[in-house]
Amino acid sequence: MSEAPIAKSDLNQLIMNYLIIEGYKDAAEKFSEESGLTHNVDLGSIEERMQIRFAVQSGDIRAAIERVNDLNPDLLDTDPRLYFHLQQQHLIELIRQGKAEEALEFAQEELAPHGEEHPELLRELEKTMALLAFDVVGDSPLADLLDFSHRQKTANELNAALLAAHSQPKEPKLPALLQLLAWTQEQLDEKANYPRINNIVNAVLEPPATETAAAGDSASANTQRT
Amino acid sequence: MASLQPHAEYVQQLQSPNPVDVYMALRTIKNAIIGSSTKKSLYFRLHIIPHVSALLAMDDTDVQIRIQATTIVSSLAHKGEDAAKELLEGGVMVSLISQIMPGTDALLMEASERALNALLSYTGTKMSAEEHTYSLVPYLLSIVTKAKDSAQIFEMRTHARIELAVLILGKLCVTESRQFTVANAGAIELLVPLLLRGYPRLQIATLRTISALSYENMEICRALAAVPHDGRALPAILLELAQHQDPEIRLQACVCISNLSRMRASGGAARDIQSIAVPALAKLLRCPDVGVLQVVQALGYLCHEDAEMQIAAKNAGVIADIIHIIAETESRDGADFVDSEHNIQVAKAGFLALGTIVSAGEECRTKAVENQMLAYLVRAMDHRDDGIKAAACLCTQYIVRSVPICRTHVSESGILKPLLRLVRHDTPEVQMTATAALINLLPDFSPLRAEALKENVVDILVELLDSKITMVRRNALWCIRNLLVNIDDGTRRTIIDKVGIGRICAISHPDSEPVIREQAAGVLQNITAENDQGTLAIFDCLGAGQTVDMLTGLLDPQTDTPTQVHGLYLVNNIAVRSQAYCEYIAKHRALLQAIVALVTSPISEVAVGALWCVNSIASHKMPTARGSNSNSGGSGGEDGEPRYLAELEELGVQAILEGMLGDASLCLSVRDRVKSCLDYYAPLAI
Repeated sequence: MSEAPIAKSDLNQLIMNYLIIEGYKDAAEKFSEESGLTHNVDLGSIEERMQIRFAVQSGDIRAAIERVNDLNPDLLDTDPRLYFHLQQQHLIELIRQGKAEEALEFAQEELAPHGEEHPELLRELEKTMALLAFDVVGDSPLADLLDFSHRQKTANELNAALLAAHSQPKEPKLPALLQLLAWTQEQLDEKANYPRINNIVNAVLEPPATETAAAGDSASANTQRT
Repeated sequence: MASLQPHAEYVQQLQSPNPVDVYMALRTIKNAIIGSSTKKSLYFRLHIIPHVSALLAMDDTDVQIRIQATTIVSSLAHKGEDAAKELLEGGVMVSLISQIMPGTDALLMEASERALNALLSYTGTKMSAEEHTYSLVPYLLSIVTKAKDSAQIFEMRTHARIELAVLILGKLCVTESRQFTVANAGAIELLVPLLLRGYPRLQIATLRTISALSYENMEICRALAAVPHDGRALPAILLELAQHQDPEIRLQACVCISNLSRMRASGGAARDIQSIAVPALAKLLRCPDVGVLQVVQALGYLCHEDAEMQIAAKNAGVIADIIHIIAETESRDGADFVDSEHNIQVAKAGFLALGTIVSAGEECRTKAVENQMLAYLVRAMDHRDDGIKAAACLCTQYIVRSVPICRTHVSESGILKPLLRLVRHDTPEVQMTATAALINLLPDFSPLRAEALKENVVDILVELLDSKITMVRRNALWCIRNLLVNIDDGTRRTIIDKVGIGRICAISHPDSEPVIREQAAGVLQNITAENDQGTLAIFDCLGAGQTVDMLTGLLDPQTDTPTQVHGLYLVNNIAVRSQAYCEYIAKHRALLQAIVALVTSPISEVAVGALWCVNSIASHKMPTARGSNSNSGGSGGEDGEPRYLAELEELGVQAILEGMLGDASLCLSVRDRVKSCLDYYAPLAI
């Protein structure tokens, strides 16, 4: 297995793919330069995409929407679910800031009519509106909406839509390959002794061991992205 | 409700002499309306169109202002067809076209393409773009030509411009003449290579445009299939894309393959289509990343009038999957948080696609019935949406084409009562499909015939003969025609009385629509088929003179073939049952001439019918010393010469028959009938 030929250029492509999709523009440029990799990706667009992502992660949804509208004005007109999620995030930010009245007005003016046109989104709207019923929202059963991970989720959805609009894959290939590796090793663990990668940081094939806890290591490494 | 005030002020600000104020107002409006249908409506009410249109029409408007104004047009057009029409009426089209001319600022060009793409998203606006097609096509093709060879094709803006240009080209292809305009301008050679560039969005756009360009156009399909790219023909490229990892590409590739397949232009790839495209579409039915509606529609289109493709669909599990989809729509119907309109569209498409798949093969129908199809059809006939009712009726029509299913499952399905309600529905589409389905439930082998008679189907059908819709009248006549086969004398009499012989004879007149006349002639044929009850009724109603005139009219050379065939068998039925009535036919020279003329028809069905008439006329014999003449029983009991030999010989029938016997090109059924006729004649002296 250790003798299986793996081309350096393929590995470089995988890394480049990760850097581009995840928005590491400077690293991508440097890596492209150093590895001599020719790429067919608009590196300039990465920065715009990352600024948008940063705006969402910072809770500045209005700024993010304006940037998206400059970059691709069709995107939010043709993807009502994405538009709803951005507006929903804005509503969450208003609630987080304690602007209940403004939040209510915004929900009535913007989100409710949008929900009427797309009834499949109403359930999420109802859930978000329920936040207003709690004095201390952090203690509510819906506190997860206020968590940073929710901003991250919205940012990821927007990033994926921007990537797709530019014919780019929505997700990098590397994490998916690592997940595949973990799953494959898990399957093999039940059936055979084989040289195993126990540590994905050094990716060394280790001889079969009598007992191993490596599958767990790999799995935890793979979940870091989310 | 929010105040209109700030928004009205932004609109007002568009007239400011200060370009910065105008720019800022446009930008604010743009960001307010993108994604928001409510805000779009609000700005329509504030009459934004004339302001934006005026800014675009002025020669000296700044590029940045143009970009913002054009983006507003684009966003407003996304609101719907009425909004797009209002924008076109506001005169934005000419400005937008001028903004995609070569040399325009790249960002403005992209914004203008987006606006054109959005404006042309609706049937009405696509159709109304006729006058602009000739000016648009060269610009769009120049964008594709310039960008596709560029090393910077991956640059986001370049990529967007080429994708949009390709999409707009496709949206222009809504008529055959426009398909040719686009193809003749060189689109085929430009588009096919784009399929292999490896950019999914561009591939999807190109596939959509190839689909629009080739839809129902045999010439373009053949031209597309003949263009090799890198040594490969388009069907091979499409079949490869039907296996692409991106589900949308798979779907669009299958749609293009369907177009080529339907026009028989897939270059011998029929087997590959069955083994690659059909299973690909079947798999897409279960894929959450593509619209199930389009997949179902694509399957229906691919399988239309293609029995082998229908079998391939059945083998790929499509029937069970579509029924499952219908079941899901049924369970979601009326539920909260469901897009009800979309749900209805999916159900309707499901019934239509199933109807197509079961239209030809017994195996497919059996599979559908095994998957409880009939129960879904019965429930769909009571759905609140008329489109679903009509689709269910259409599907029923095809399912009950099967004699075994009609004899077994259908009788227990409870389908008759809802169907009888729908034949009197106030929607033409529902009435037409319901009556078409009823036709197949009334033949003699159907257990539902008796039940239908109990439900007063005859009265219902008589009522439908007054319908203003031709196809409803035609289907009602067809139902009556089927009811008359192998029915007891009492019921036949009742049907004849209720329908009225005079009425049927009147609508078999040449002035009637051909489809009505055909069925009226079929009814008369069946009325007279089994005994002389019907013949007596016709002669009693019309008298001998009008009857033979009507028969002559049915055999007129101008009459269409199906009606002629019914007319010939009607003549035969009258002639064979009674010598007395045959006399009227044999002595009417024009009628006899019409029959003899059709003996040599190149259409074998017509020739056989005419030969049966000759046979029946010749079968009546002269009395001999041993026997007595009889008015009944055509060929029975007489030993003499054929009674109407002279009349037939005046028209040279024997010579015609002898001549036909020597014609090796005639089909066997015609030759057999010729031989039977010649049995009445002594051989001609050589």
